[in-house]
Amino acid sequence: MAFPVSAAAAPAAPVRPVSAGHFVRLKLRVMGNNFRGQGWRIALFIGGALVGLWFAVSGFFLFAAPGMTGNGRYAVLVAAAGGGLLVLGWLLLPLVFFGVDETLDPARFALLPLTRRTLVTGLFAAALVSVPVLAVLVASFGLVLTSWALGGWSAGLVAIVGVLGGLLLCVAASRAVTSAFASMLRSRRVRDLAAVLLAVTAALLGPLQVFGLAALREADWSRLTGVATVVAWTPFGAPWTAGIDVAQGRVWAAPVKLLITAAAIGALLVWWSRSLESAMVGAVSAGKAPTRRGATGGAVGQLFPRLAGWARRDRFGALVAREARYWWRDARRRANLITIAVVGIFVPVVINVTGGDFAATDGAGLTAGVADSSPVVVTISMLFVGVLASVTLANQFGFDGSAYAANVVAGVPGRVELRARMTAFSLYVLPMLTVVAVVLSVVLGRPSWIGLTTGSLAATYGAGLAVNSFVSVLGAYSLPETSNPFAMNSGAGVAKGLLTILAMVTSAVAAVPMVVAAALLGDAWLWLALPVGIGYGLGAALLGAYLAGDVLDRRQPELLATVTPRR
Amino acid sequence: MTVEHPALALRGLAKRFDGTIAVAGVDLDVPAGSFYGLLGPNGAGKTTTLSMAVGLLRPDAGSAWVLGHDVWQDPVTAKRLLGVMPDGVRLFDRLTGAELLAYHGLLRGMDPAVVDQRAAELLDVLALGDAGRTLVVDYSAGMKKKIGLACALLHGPRLLVLDEPFEAVDPVSAALIRDILTRYAAGGGTVVFSSHVMEVVERLCSHVAILAGGTIKRVGTLSEVRGDRSLEQVFVEVVGGRTATGEELSWLSR
Repeated sequence: MAFPVSAAAAPAAPVRPVSAGHFVRLKLRVMGNNFRGQGWRIALFIGGALVGLWFAVSGFFLFAAPGMTGNGRYAVLVAAAGGGLLVLGWLLLPLVFFGVDETLDPARFALLPLTRRTLVTGLFAAALVSVPVLAVLVASFGLVLTSWALGGWSAGLVAIVGVLGGLLLCVAASRAVTSAFASMLRSRRVRDLAAVLLAVTAALLGPLQVFGLAALREADWSRLTGVATVVAWTPFGAPWTAGIDVAQGRVWAAPVKLLITAAAIGALLVWWSRSLESAMVGAVSAGKAPTRRGATGGAVGQLFPRLAGWARRDRFGALVAREARYWWRDARRRANLITIAVVGIFVPVVINVTGGDFAATDGAGLTAGVADSSPVVVTISMLFVGVLASVTLANQFGFDGSAYAANVVAGVPGRVELRARMTAFSLYVLPMLTVVAVVLSVVLGRPSWIGLTTGSLAATYGAGLAVNSFVSVLGAYSLPETSNPFAMNSGAGVAKGLLTILAMVTSAVAAVPMVVAAALLGDAWLWLALPVGIGYGLGAALLGAYLAGDVLDRRQPELLATVTPRR
Repeated sequence: MTVEHPALALRGLAKRFDGTIAVAGVDLDVPAGSFYGLLGPNGAGKTTTLSMAVGLLRPDAGSAWVLGHDVWQDPVTAKRLLGVMPDGVRLFDRLTGAELLAYHGLLRGMDPAVVDQRAAELLDVLALGDAGRTLVVDYSAGMKKKIGLACALLHGPRLLVLDEPFEAVDPVSAALIRDILTRYAAGGGTVVFSSHVMEVVERLCSHVAILAGGTIKRVGTLSEVRGDRSLEQVFVEVVGGRTATGEELSWLSR
């Protein structure tokens, strides 16, 4: 019965072409199925939606303020600065904190006969269905209100088009950037390049800092407006200011700005579709591993990297060695390490320089502001870095996924497990944190503050490790088994966000004594902070491992079940 | 008086997921020194049962003993006697084969020198030595099964529990795995494994249990279960398979 034509006859032309609507419905269906029978997930989702609503409403009033007060002077400033921050946030936050919702993993579509254009528009449309997008939409309609109040309905209409374009730009930017970074981090050869690029991206915080600095000096509104006008002609500000241009009589500017927006969206989508292809094909194999040099020594000797060479060849040592190898070899973990390194350097510098300048009356320049930075501000900025570094472990078992079964089968005691994980992570992070502490005190021109910075950093980091031991045992969630280090499971977005914030707040609270001491004890604290901080951090971490280890012993199988991805 | 404990004893193990019953009360005695095959169609509850038996999944009801030690009350002793190769579970696959073996050995509290020696032997016998410094994640499916088996064997367990050890394994590797398991059983070890490949079970096993719909349908020595028919006939009859009539799917033969 084998007709030679059967192959040609079978795949008839598709009856109905695949449209973006299919992707949107698929995403809604997947989200809905995830909620089925999981009350806590629905609760988390509603909680996240409420938080989103709160941000949306406050953003709305911020954007609408120039219109409601009838004060057109600051309209461009608010639109360009606020809108620019939105775009920047969509660019950076997924890389640094939240990841992207990969409910629809591109790799799943690799076998379907879809053109790249269909796939990209479909995934793009599906990406628009989310709480943050809705929140931004609500907030940015404040701009529409402003334009309408200042320039009548024609300005309002242009503003609607502009705002919608801006929203598309935000989503396209976040998708394109995470996808590009993901494919870079996946390939073992260019991962160092990716690190550099991420650093450059974070360096964008620099101009932002100057901007914020100027904003704090209320006297200089005219200069700020000048900056805003420039920003308004970049893709960061163009979509948000088009309506206001019409309202203020610059009608010719609106179409140009909308064109800028459209071009930016187009370019981002093309960029995204390039890296998407590599995500679809590369999911199976990340290419040939570099041929490592021939095995030296026995199996045990090979397991221990030089970094962990000091460890005893026992259970604890094996756990440390394996974790240390994983922090480097697993793209997802490596991305986290890079983030800590980059943000850990930039944020404290920004906080201290800005905070100092706020105190300086004449604003003569960086040095004047720097000189005024106080021990309390420094301690608080260190607190932020310590919290950020330790929160990486909030889902440390999620990184392992079902591989954690090996430790359950071997019956590893919880305390040993947690202590080993802390140790291995600290092998990478402690040197970084020391550098941060030293660099900061040098940049501030206060070398004598090294004790203060190091001590508060150690205390916060240790307290954070303790808090995150509990969070990682009790609040673990599974990560999808894709090769995108920024991907998260559907529905986990809200959960992860809330959990991260909870862990960070708790860790910060646990380190507050250091801030209080810095405020009360004066100069004596500058040197006392080092031993006290190290002792506090070490004690907290050990206590955390001790107590959380007990919890872990009782719920190893449950933990394994929560970190195993559902298929 | 010495009481001979069964290598693995299960009593009333039950588990439900989101309202659907996966395993509905499994009783099983695996005599020490036996080669035990757990047969069942896809979704019968084999993996769930074995996961509960080795301490990976907490049962809703029932208990499991390994050589007389309760897996859920006294996990430390029970797990020391156990070697497990789960299915559908990742290994720590960003290690090389040798690193993975060293990790498992040290995790079991073994002496580093012994780990080195046994790891080298296992890699050699399982023909994984050539892989050198390749990460396990880049191994083929058959190689992953073999390194998983090596991890389970490394500490010389008394009872070996293997979930689908012959799935996705080429005939050469399968023969090798069979050979190693036979030698292990001959040396006094007990093997329990799940499979739906009849010929492997018929060739290897001394005892068989057929699991379907979350309960044990047939259990006993191979000859008891099989009778004078082939194991496949018994299996299809017990499970209640359906044969295509030829009417449906007619478009397949266009």
